[in-house]
Amino acid sequence: MTDRITGGLLLLITLGYAYMGYHFKVGFMADPIGPKAFPLLIAGLLFLFILYILIRPDPEPQWPGLKIWLNMALVLFSLVIYAYALVPLGFIATTTLEVTILAVIFKGQLWKGIIASLVLSLTLYAGFVFLLDIPLPVGKIFGG
Amino acid sequence: MDVFHSLMMGFSVALRPLNLGVAFAGCLVGTVIGVLPGIGPITGVAILVPLTFAIKLPPESALILLAGIYYGAMYGGSTTSILLNVPGETASVVTTIDGYQMARQGRAGPALAISAIGSFIAGTISVIGLMLFGPFLANVAIRFGPAEYLALMVFAFSMISSLAGRNLAKAMISTLFGLMLATVGLDPGSAVPRYTFGQLKLYDGMDFLVVAIGLFAISEVLSLLEETHTGQTAKAEMGKVYISFKEFMFSLGAILRGSFLGFFIGVLPGAGASIASFISYTLEKRVSNRNDTFGKGDIRGVAGPESANNAAAGGALIPLLTLGIPGSGTTAVLLGAIMGMNIVPGPLMFQQHPDVVWGLVASMYIGNLMLLVLNLPLVGLFVKILLIPNWFLIPAVTAISFIGVYSVNNSPFDLLLMIAFGLLGYLMKKMDYPLAPVILGLVLGELMETNLRRALSLSGGDWGYLFKSPISITLWVLAFVSLFAPLVFRKLGQMKNEAVSGEDEL
Repeated sequence: MTDRITGGLLLLITLGYAYMGYHFKVGFMADPIGPKAFPLLIAGLLFLFILYILIRPDPEPQWPGLKIWLNMALVLFSLVIYAYALVPLGFIATTTLEVTILAVIFKGQLWKGIIASLVLSLTLYAGFVFLLDIPLPVGKIFGG
Repeated sequence: MDVFHSLMMGFSVALRPLNLGVAFAGCLVGTVIGVLPGIGPITGVAILVPLTFAIKLPPESALILLAGIYYGAMYGGSTTSILLNVPGETASVVTTIDGYQMARQGRAGPALAISAIGSFIAGTISVIGLMLFGPFLANVAIRFGPAEYLALMVFAFSMISSLAGRNLAKAMISTLFGLMLATVGLDPGSAVPRYTFGQLKLYDGMDFLVVAIGLFAISEVLSLLEETHTGQTAKAEMGKVYISFKEFMFSLGAILRGSFLGFFIGVLPGAGASIASFISYTLEKRVSNRNDTFGKGDIRGVAGPESANNAAAGGALIPLLTLGIPGSGTTAVLLGAIMGMNIVPGPLMFQQHPDVVWGLVASMYIGNLMLLVLNLPLVGLFVKILLIPNWFLIPAVTAISFIGVYSVNNSPFDLLLMIAFGLLGYLMKKMDYPLAPVILGLVLGELMETNLRRALSLSGGDWGYLFKSPISITLWVLAFVSLFAPLVFRKLGQMKNEAVSGEDEL
């Protein structure tokens, strides 16, 4: 079932990809085939292999249970927030928070997580900014 | 002698203090990555590429560092296989069979010693091979036109697809998906924006580092959520790491067989260190298992595959450096890194950047020696790394991935893209779509299209031109054969297994 659903999705993506490729506005052509041919070639080949998957799907993969999916959603959500907050709040604050959250999700104790994340984010910041000269965001709220 | 001169020049590059330092750092980091089961060489290399860009290492130093991580990981991977029955890398899976048995019999010391010595010999042999075959292959490849290059790339894609996963169709979909990603951005031939959805950020195309770190590092974080055990506990009786001369001579044959086999498998595009170690173990069992000692702690079952995976790591650099065609996921990331430094890998690299090529080769000699010196006395220390619990290790890897991707363009958009690829990578792994071909497709896509269009320009639009020269015909045939040969072999293997049923061959 999984393979049929993903196969269907892939098919839609491939058709969209081919449709967009076919409608590229091409001004002048420096070569005989232009920018359309390669994407169309890819789409054509993809189409064949997707058909094969649809006709002969693999046995069902082992999907994790609800609890793991929830954890995963939590991890992904926190990562997205981390990505958005990195520049405005700065590396040290966001990394300390994110590492603590991940540490707890991966079954670490809260107080150990907080200490470890503080040490880690300060070490990384010092190492990258002062030692390796790679700039990391200071944080807009701190005037960075 | 020309090669000798070039090598001497290489040593003068490799012996610069900076390069010695980065070689040492690379080997050390590589060993640590090899020891840790969650992080493979491809993840390690991908995370560190943007950092080498950011600190503006000169190209030869960056390559020496990254290559050091790659072959250092091969050393580290065996340690946990032997002591804990936990392979640090896929390339060390077979080492667990006899290695762990040896450890249980209190012979962990000789097992660790022979894998370090075997790796050293194999590493040295592969460097010599690189030295001998590299310039030769580069001389052949310099005559390649666009049609031959296109065929060569198709061959590499079909090799990696046929070996990457269990399902050929899915591996092909992965490859084509990578090519699809490569078409995002401004078309180099006509400056038409393709698949950018009006996003200016996509005009430069998908950054392969964002994709690679997402697919490998972030997806691993998600995969590890499923693990039930929360951390490793390193407890193994190690004893002294030593080996008697008699035992060394006993395994020398296995080491040499493993080295040569691994080297040639490594040179083939698509077949990397994991396959080399599997085949070497099977071969060694065939050749040496007279008294049925394999699987019960035979030292040759450690020596063979451990030599093979190291030799393969060296061999895999040959197509990368001479043809610009990577043979595995890790070398694909290396290729991306080389291109990011504005060097075009391929036959011209030997002429235009001899210091980079030969500096790398010479540093691998030195690196192998460093690894031997590091590994024999420090094994105990490396095993202690396994005491780091997952709840600290995983968040740390995540934070470093964020730094890496952020440092590429200082753009939060890249971070979101990386997270999306992380989820995608997790789902793909679950559904048996291999990840390495995506990276290969993404890294080679533009080159492939350029060569296709150049070839058709030369022929005035005649597609038959792609199959004209003997070299391109041979490569197309090889591509076709390598795509379908495994299917045929598997069918034959099934028939044979049914006939002999009960034998468990690897």
